[in-house]
Amino acid sequence: MSTPLLEIRNLHVRVEDNEILKGVNLTLNRGEVHAVMGRNGSGKSTLSYVLAGREDYEVVEGEVLFDGENLLEMEPDERAAAGVFLAFQYPIEIPGVATMTFLKAAMNAQRKARGESELTTPDFMKAVRDASGLLDIKQDMLKRPLNVGFSGGEKKRAEILQMALLQPKLAILDETDSGLDIDALKVVSEGVNRLRSADRAMLVITHYQRLLNHIVPDVVHVFSNGRVVETGGKELALELEAKGYADFDEPNAA
Amino acid sequence: MNVQTPVRLSAAEEAFVGQLESAGASAAAERFRIIGLPTRRVESYHYTDLKTLLSAVPPLARAAKGASAPVIDIPGAYRIVIANGEVQNSGTAPNGVIVSKVAGATLTTRDDVLMRLNSALVSESVSVELTGHVDAVVHIDRRMEGDAAHVQSGAKIAFAAGTKATVIETVSGSDAAHMGNAGSYVSVGEGAEVTHILVDLSARQATHFASVEYRLAANAKFKSVVVNAGANLARAQIFAEFTGEGTHGDFYGLNLVDGEQHKDITLDVTHGVPHTTSSELYKQIARGRGKAVFQGKINVARDAQKTDAKMMMQGLLLSDEAEILAKPELEIFADDVVCGHGATCGDLDDTWLFYLMSRGIPRAEAETMLIRGFLAEIVDAVEAEHVAQALGDIVEVWLGKAV
Repeated sequence: MSTPLLEIRNLHVRVEDNEILKGVNLTLNRGEVHAVMGRNGSGKSTLSYVLAGREDYEVVEGEVLFDGENLLEMEPDERAAAGVFLAFQYPIEIPGVATMTFLKAAMNAQRKARGESELTTPDFMKAVRDASGLLDIKQDMLKRPLNVGFSGGEKKRAEILQMALLQPKLAILDETDSGLDIDALKVVSEGVNRLRSADRAMLVITHYQRLLNHIVPDVVHVFSNGRVVETGGKELALELEAKGYADFDEPNAA
Repeated sequence: MNVQTPVRLSAAEEAFVGQLESAGASAAAERFRIIGLPTRRVESYHYTDLKTLLSAVPPLARAAKGASAPVIDIPGAYRIVIANGEVQNSGTAPNGVIVSKVAGATLTTRDDVLMRLNSALVSESVSVELTGHVDAVVHIDRRMEGDAAHVQSGAKIAFAAGTKATVIETVSGSDAAHMGNAGSYVSVGEGAEVTHILVDLSARQATHFASVEYRLAANAKFKSVVVNAGANLARAQIFAEFTGEGTHGDFYGLNLVDGEQHKDITLDVTHGVPHTTSSELYKQIARGRGKAVFQGKINVARDAQKTDAKMMMQGLLLSDEAEILAKPELEIFADDVVCGHGATCGDLDDTWLFYLMSRGIPRAEAETMLIRGFLAEIVDAVEAEHVAQALGDIVEVWLGKAV
């Protein structure tokens, strides 16, 4: 069997003095979509930030292998070039940086890191036009500074646009459904589903089951108090929805 | 007569006195001898203590033998060169522009040492009168050429009523430890829509002072942009007075500081009549051991009701040893006004940096994107496309410079 795309082994992470992740184990193979479900504050978003390489998180124990490489040693940009993509729960507004300039810089930086030539402007424009059309993103939105003045739904669609353009090996979707109405949820989910492929894996972090009606996972992990407490098939999400998270809490965490 | 004299004049002060005397400005020389250069005890020079900062004064400039290439070349612009203080012949002016030489300096009398020096030492100034819609950008290109020299220059810019025009003034020149002192008196007529830009691009060893006075008549739309991107020691002083109702002024500025540089923008805006509005946005960016200073004062006269003025200073600190100083002041004598000021200062936002890097953009490039974004608001304020491009290029050069 080939190397898993992502292997998280006994990951313990601290933020300031609080241990947020307390021994996470998770293995994700190419072509698979895993959901991570858990209540607010269970450490789901911390996991996504640690994987993407945000500072302020101290890994005290454990390791993360991406394609067999030590992910935790890499800078965030190196992780992105290796194929990790995080769709942010709260995409960052950056005034003064034009969306198109940003998209081009990101695409070219990753191409450069992989030893490929820069995109020509017509090729870049075409790629953006094609991908944004599928996500119902107006050209006007792309003319604004990055995420500035975007509605919640627009921000989430813009994240999926970036994902479509960057074609990562691993997409981590952090609460991508939050702040979306039904129609927007559909557009975003379809965008994500179009990107499902045999050589790409996804980690879908969500609080609610409803997103998983649209992005159907292969595996569901239940997250509680900083670790995975239950792993199962997609029916586990329904069970969670019916019973609530309390049944999955460990006795000492209740 | 009982006058208080400094215990001892510094070498720079002696040099200024000598130069004033040699120029026949004996009254100014005598006054300078008594008052000397301002120290930190003088409120308006508190952060830019000239007595300490100025150690030497180069000899007064002589006629330039040759001129360096224009430091910025704005396509389609009409360029007027003032080399070492002398107004050069500048060819046929575009429609609506009349250029002439006038004797003496152009600034009014204010209690300011740099302006007094300028007024005493400038022997001829350029006068530029603009009328109607002037499509060509007018570029007043001041040079400090040859060996290190103390260069005084003056300009009088008059925008007639209803004029639409853009004037940019730059200072540049040979790579020597010049000292420049440039004066500009700018009058904006009724209903004029005008942009005036002032850019210091003088040599790295140079010292450069600029004083600008704006007189704004009624119903005008005015924009001022000042950029310090050259001299090691720079101070730009801007005095704006609203003299007619219904006028709006946008004031922008940028201090780009690195190495051991010290750059100061000092702004004084007076809303002297009712129903005038202004916005002031100044950005300072400092790296190395540089020091950036912004002093901004908004004065609202007793009968200047309905004044609306908002001043903002934003600072970006790129090193631990750099300094950014801001002193905003409001002096309001009217009771029905909206005035405010704010200041922020910090380093690059970690969250923003992480977001860009998480998309594969390496740290250095991400930082540059964010700095460029921070500065964009100033550059984008300029509507004349080629001028905005030129300012953008200045920022790019600064960003690309090894620290």
